[in-house]
Amino acid sequence: MNDRKKRGRRQVRPGRESRIGFSGGISYVLLLCLCLLIMVPILFTFLYSFFPRGEMEAYLKLRGNYDKSVWLDILYAPSQVSLRQYYKILIENPTYLKLFCNSAMYTGMILLGQAAVIPLTAYALSRFIFRGRDTLFFLILILMILPFQVTMAPSVIMLKWMGLLDTVWAVVLPSCFSPFYIFLLRQFMVTLPNELLEAGMVDGVGPIRGFVHVVLPVCRPILGAALALSFADNWNMVEQPLVYLSGKPDLQPLSVMFNQISTDSADVAFAGAALYILPALFVYMFFQEDIVEGIQLSELK
Amino acid sequence: MFRKKKIVFLLLLPGLLGLLAFYVVPFFGGIYFSVMDGTFENQFVGIDNYVRVFQNRMFQLGLKNTWTLSLMCAPTIWLLSFLLAAMLKTLKERSTTFRNLLLLPYLMPSSAMLLIWLIMFDYGGVWNRLAVALGYERVLWLEGSALRFPIVLLYVWKNLGFSMVLFSSALSAVHPSLYEYASLEGAGWWTQAFRITLPQVWPTAFLVFVLAWVNAFKIFKEVYFIGGSYPAEEIYTLQHYMNNKFSRLEYQDVTSAAYMFELGVMVLFAMMYLSKAVRSPSES
Repeated sequence: MNDRKKRGRRQVRPGRESRIGFSGGISYVLLLCLCLLIMVPILFTFLYSFFPRGEMEAYLKLRGNYDKSVWLDILYAPSQVSLRQYYKILIENPTYLKLFCNSAMYTGMILLGQAAVIPLTAYALSRFIFRGRDTLFFLILILMILPFQVTMAPSVIMLKWMGLLDTVWAVVLPSCFSPFYIFLLRQFMVTLPNELLEAGMVDGVGPIRGFVHVVLPVCRPILGAALALSFADNWNMVEQPLVYLSGKPDLQPLSVMFNQISTDSADVAFAGAALYILPALFVYMFFQEDIVEGIQLSELK
Repeated sequence: MFRKKKIVFLLLLPGLLGLLAFYVVPFFGGIYFSVMDGTFENQFVGIDNYVRVFQNRMFQLGLKNTWTLSLMCAPTIWLLSFLLAAMLKTLKERSTTFRNLLLLPYLMPSSAMLLIWLIMFDYGGVWNRLAVALGYERVLWLEGSALRFPIVLLYVWKNLGFSMVLFSSALSAVHPSLYEYASLEGAGWWTQAFRITLPQVWPTAFLVFVLAWVNAFKIFKEVYFIGGSYPAEEIYTLQHYMNNKFSRLEYQDVTSAAYMFELGVMVLFAMMYLSKAVRSPSES
């Protein structure tokens, strides 16, 4: 437990220890370049979303030119900043907004479902001793490393038999029990010191109250991490709706249909992309520290 | 730790029911479909479906491409993320901003990034400008086997950060006193790297590798955005084969294909698991 405390503590000791030396200097420069490069696609997506519709449409038409003497210009600034394309996708033409709401609905429902099921399962697997616990955990590990291609085929048959295929539930329900997040939360909860719950047990706090009042508050970082990672997964899901909702184009989320929109109406494509990124950006800003901290405190071996 | 509390089964119930209903039962139930012929009489045909699917050219193509793409992605991500984590460690507390920025792409939806990718990899785009500046010919990035490069790059760009965070946490968990003691005993940088860092990080490295590989099978997403449902042969993945079979309701073929694929994956992971057991006998 001593080890855990040391890991958790932030090392903010100025002076000699913070000097990074020559190899640190090289790393600093390399990482700075890499981070700038990594940011380029995101920054340009936002920049291009403010270009007037005509200008952007004309620019995108220049693609696919196989003339060796022609280069595709890199645009740095619009002739005038325009918000007209945002107006079009948000108010004039509801197609985009509808898909956006579908995506939000799936992500919200899956996150709620996961919140109801996964912490409880992880708690039972980590803080209780019962027969078959290790076998059960091993089974979950095996399920975790099954590729989607393998679970998909039998799942479709099962969902069809349950009458859920081509309904919203086909996408939502299987994801609510995602083994990876059970694993992630369990690995965090096993590192919690025993004294934490034992102190409560002396005062007569049972397993349920111990879970709500002791374990959940301590698990804040990993819950945040799981939420952000799961959001990233679901906001970007393609395989599940494509297979489970193949007969229902109007139920598809934005992730599947966005391609279609951007080819059909190139003028608003970047505005759509920027709006699509925005929620992910908010989630990232709120939970970036949790992801790092939650994973750092887990027993990931 | 709670012992002999019956309530644990109540807590487990929802999770277990869900796992059973959506993962375990379908997995074993699917075997039934893979050995029946799927006609009106629905007779038992043994491994006929497996043989037929295995001889199908599109299945072989999809299987080969799925393995090729994951083989390109998973080791790349594994190595790069380890290097990045090691570099971040030399920066000490100055690394926070970099680490968080590297994680940002993980949350970006790939379809939103696709547009800018297509512009960058256009025949007159930035990548070809770079190629010409370095003295090479322009490349048709969006056709044929060259298409793999933008796809793999998009995938690596997006997924590098998460693996890097896993490695970072493993590296920061190595006790500093180990290095201090080693320096006192006169161990050089290489000795420290191979005798201290590597054995300490190995179990996490194994996890990162397995996760990176399982996720790399999901590269269908990126392929689908660039190539659609019927892409060029070089990037036709197993998922395309299965999706197309699904739309024709040929469940026998899809399940057989899934189990054959799973067999390969299991062999790979069993081999990696054994290598882990050999490397660190003290770990479980």
